[in-house]
Amino acid sequence: MKTDVAVIGTGLSALAAARTVQQAGRQVVLVWPGLSSLYFLFATIDVIGYPTATATESVADPAEAVARLITREPSHPYARAGMDAVHAGTRLMLEWFKEAGLAWQGALNRNFLLPTATGTPKPCCLAPASMTAGDLSRPEPIVFCGFTGYQDFAPELAASNLKRQWGAADVSAIRVTAPGYGPDRLFTSVDLARSFEDATFRDAVAAQLREHVSGDGARVGVPGVLGLTRPGETFAAFQEAVGHPVFEIPTVPPSVIALRLFDRLRKHLQEAGIEIIWAAPAHAAQVTDERCRSVLLKAAGHEFPVEAASYVVALEDWVDGAFRAGVHTVRDPFFHEPITWNKVPTDRTAESLFSTQPFEQVGYALTDRLQPADENGKPLARNVFCAGGAMAGYDPSGTKSRGGMAIATGYRAAREALAA
Amino acid sequence: MPDTSTGVVVIGGGSTGAGVLRDLTLRGIEAVLVEKGDLASGTTGRSHGLLHSGGRYCVNDEQAAIECVEEGRILRRIARSTVEDTGGYFVSVTEEDHEWEPRFVEGCRRTGITCERLSLDEARRREPALSRQVRTVFWVPEDGHLDPFYLVVGNVESARRRGARVMTHTEVIGFLRDGDRLTGVRIKDSKTNEEASIACQSVINATGAWSGLVARLLGVEVKVVPVKGTMVVLSRRLAHAAINRCHKPGDGDIVVPGLSVSILGTTSAKVAHPETLPIEWDEVRRMIEEGAMMLDGVTTARAMRAYAGVRPLYDLGAEAEGREMSRNFAVIDHQVRDGITGFTSIVGGKVTTYRLMAERVVDVAARHLGVRTPCTTAEVPLNDREEPLDQLRHRPSLLGVPKPHGDEPPLQPLLCECELVRPQDVAPWLKDPAVRDLEDVRRRTRSGMGPCQAAICSYRLAARLVSDRGLDGASATRAMADFLETRWRGVRHVFWGSQLRNMQVTTGLHMELYNVDRELMLQHSPPPLAGEGQGGGRGAEPAEVGAQR
Ligand SMILES: Cc1cc2nc3c(=O)[nH]c(=O)nc-3n(C[C@H](O)[C@H](O)[C@H](O)COP(=O)(O)OP(=O)(O)OC[C@H]3O[C@@H](n4cnc5c(N)ncnc54)[C@H](O)[C@@H]3O)c2cc1C
Ligand SMILES: Cc1cc2nc3c(=O)[nH]c(=O)nc-3n(C[C@H](O)[C@H](O)[C@H](O)COP(=O)(O)OP(=O)(O)OC[C@H]3O[C@@H](n4cnc5c(N)ncnc54)[C@H](O)[C@@H]3O)c2cc1C
Repeated sequence: MKTDVAVIGTGLSALAAARTVQQAGRQVVLVWPGLSSLYFLFATIDVIGYPTATATESVADPAEAVARLITREPSHPYARAGMDAVHAGTRLMLEWFKEAGLAWQGALNRNFLLPTATGTPKPCCLAPASMTAGDLSRPEPIVFCGFTGYQDFAPELAASNLKRQWGAADVSAIRVTAPGYGPDRLFTSVDLARSFEDATFRDAVAAQLREHVSGDGARVGVPGVLGLTRPGETFAAFQEAVGHPVFEIPTVPPSVIALRLFDRLRKHLQEAGIEIIWAAPAHAAQVTDERCRSVLLKAAGHEFPVEAASYVVALEDWVDGAFRAGVHTVRDPFFHEPITWNKVPTDRTAESLFSTQPFEQVGYALTDRLQPADENGKPLARNVFCAGGAMAGYDPSGTKSRGGMAIATGYRAAREALAA
Repeated sequence: MPDTSTGVVVIGGGSTGAGVLRDLTLRGIEAVLVEKGDLASGTTGRSHGLLHSGGRYCVNDEQAAIECVEEGRILRRIARSTVEDTGGYFVSVTEEDHEWEPRFVEGCRRTGITCERLSLDEARRREPALSRQVRTVFWVPEDGHLDPFYLVVGNVESARRRGARVMTHTEVIGFLRDGDRLTGVRIKDSKTNEEASIACQSVINATGAWSGLVARLLGVEVKVVPVKGTMVVLSRRLAHAAINRCHKPGDGDIVVPGLSVSILGTTSAKVAHPETLPIEWDEVRRMIEEGAMMLDGVTTARAMRAYAGVRPLYDLGAEAEGREMSRNFAVIDHQVRDGITGFTSIVGGKVTTYRLMAERVVDVAARHLGVRTPCTTAEVPLNDREEPLDQLRHRPSLLGVPKPHGDEPPLQPLLCECELVRPQDVAPWLKDPAVRDLEDVRRRTRSGMGPCQAAICSYRLAARLVSDRGLDGASATRAMADFLETRWRGVRHVFWGSQLRNMQVTTGLHMELYNVDRELMLQHSPPPLAGEGQGGGRGAEPAEVGAQR
């Protein structure tokens, strides 16, 4: 198999890189080692939510905050990707979402502030349209609505926390019954999402909401389960039936909001004839004369090479399982380089779970062109470029910047790959 | 916290204190148990979980071995729901082990431990994971797995049903006395720092490794040496039965299977204080290496966490140190020894022999109280519906798993998928005033003890703290975060492979999807979004879950 660019990874950075190559009119193959956190965890694209990992004041203008970060920290992944890539990558993705029929909203010069399932406000830059009515810059009262027996969204918890943090208006909690579901039945968000595509089910839920929510312009926050394969029409029909603005709140894995995005983009690429190789972990890069000639994949029972003029390695830190952490050494699946070495495994962690973690920062050292580099800064191969979580040196959890960095670096790595 | 009074105050909520409370209650003596942490949060919940057949002690400590044999048989009768009847093997690996064999066989014979030598083929047929290095195998059917959490909770609940009271997260900080007579204890709520007194006629000090510290509050001496041991939990069960090295007791020489996991252990090092429990990497590494000498799969299995506990070794005054000291226990009648009426200490022992220890110390205390009712704990089961542990848990009918074509009820929801804990298993504990944080719920239900280490169930539990217990969001979120942090502390020591990968899901979920890190930070600063004079309660509630009193 031969192609212009092979993109290896499943996350947002891999998708951004693939789309970049596709838009440039060149041939791309996507190799997915395993499912990423995008698939089951995330819901919004966070460009930068807080200026630092410990700041409590959220960022109002992400573009400006990223520009400042770039000046302050010249080796930050955002700095390596460059401000142009932040803008171009974001534009590319928003256009893609639109073309793929995904209704998303947001722009680089402002953050939404959306309540999470714990009721904590969280800044994010781009979000599905079905979430944005929850924006806390708007003053309308909020009614959180959960379902009897559904454990992954607790309106009482969310209301209590938001009430304390957000003084602008009333916050309250109700629970309604989802027909056929209850405390004595095992079900997940995905089951509910399927049921919401059924008009009778939807209307039965909406009728209860109409009854409980008074007509004073309140908006209703529900768990992110409003449809799986036809979310747009499901959401519109439900909102109409409720008679109030409705917004979704993402829940624990499986996050339906993440599933929708991922599945739609995947199908859209496939519809455009782009080849995706599933569940085939890469396990070696063949490098001669400083160039990667092929990447060997392992699929059920056999091994086969993917040959490309250049490669984008868009792995996640850990969730997709591409990096292997031994007791002391972490190795990558291509060059088998020791990415890090730890005397004791505890050194990979911070004392508190809720602080910046060394293990989240594990990844390739990079050249200015985003090539994985050895310890002297020399590229491991001239035609391999790196994006997303596989880059060393940052933990986006505290600043809430995983999505933005994935897109900017995915875009930039793909541009480099096209030029290589 | 109001002052109160009772007949006997039991200090310590480990296996010993729980056994004492139940024994007193069965003899009709009014009693209150006071525990500074939670039930089984001391050594008992940090032990290895082996129901000792006695095989480990039969060469060096015959008395201890005989006690284990007898108590093991009793527990299988009265506490079946806490025992998994796995049986055990003693295996030889090295030449030195080989030389120990005749002494082991002779020790078993002398102490009445059933022991049968198996051919290697037969042993491998039964335990395919036995390593190639194993040369000799003895089958010891009376080894087992004892769930220390269930055991303590089972004893305490049995006593509570008969009128006993229990105060968790309450520390004894001093004694009330009238000359040489003890008249009560001063207590302090560990979460709110409120103080009060309990008047009583008698106090039993069952604080294990802390018993010297507690006795010192009264100015008397009890010599215990805190000896630390570290264990590693693997997410898979590698063997059906407990695997012991057949040699002089040493480090890392037992692998205990418990339900779905295997626990490797343990080490032995004197520490300065029972709460000084650092886990060293070298200990973790050694547990894995030693375990791998007996069982295949130890190095490749997923390590979930490491934990450590301190043995309350009673210093008989001998020169012996660490493992050479006796596992036996001592009852100290301070009236006889120190001239203080109404104070008795019980030190040493094992979880396996908790019942016997309780019987002995209550015999002494009851005699001073003039109570002649004999002990009945060897006959009266912990609860009416005693079923073996392995049948009680993971039983498909409990979960309503439907038959292919039957009219069985639909699948029941789970609160903790890893450990198959249902919402109704958790619900009663959330109403119990003795349960004051999510760790307390974990010890009673196993929620959060599976591979994901509470990543998912912590939110569901926090939700229930609000809906079932009426907590505000700030306290519930704080309880969720504290629970995750406590789980995190044990995971950090085995941070590689799948467990590392899993933890990125935890941080992704709690920091990026829920933004819990900011929730915690904001609890310590005024709400940034609050308008003038609005915005509900400001500032953080105390971390404590229940404001019960
Ligand atoms: C038989 C058995 C089976 C087990 N099976 C599993 C399993 O399947 N899965 C699993 O995840 N875990 C299992 N465990 C381990 C268990 O989850 C805990 O690790 C263990 O109960 C110790 O608690 P911890 O790790 O929270 O303690 P730590 O993290 O050490 O401490 C928790 C808190 O207790 C305080 N503390 C420290 N030392 C003491 C002390 N000596 N006494 C009182 N408080 C102290 C600390 O300050 C801290 O606040 C098992 C344990 C046993 C005994
Ligand atoms: C590493 C290790 C492995 C072990 N493995 C096994 C095994 O496999 N099988 C077995 O049978 N035995 C085993 N043991 C031995 C066994 O765990 C202990 O002997 C037993 O748990 C002691 O129980 P206890 O109730 O006396 O002490 P603890 O469980 O420590 O209870 C004492 C309690 O007193 C409380 N306390 C202390 N001070 C105060 C105060 N001032 N006020 C109120 N409360 C206070 C503490 O918080 C603590 O909870 C093991 C021990 C260790 C250390």
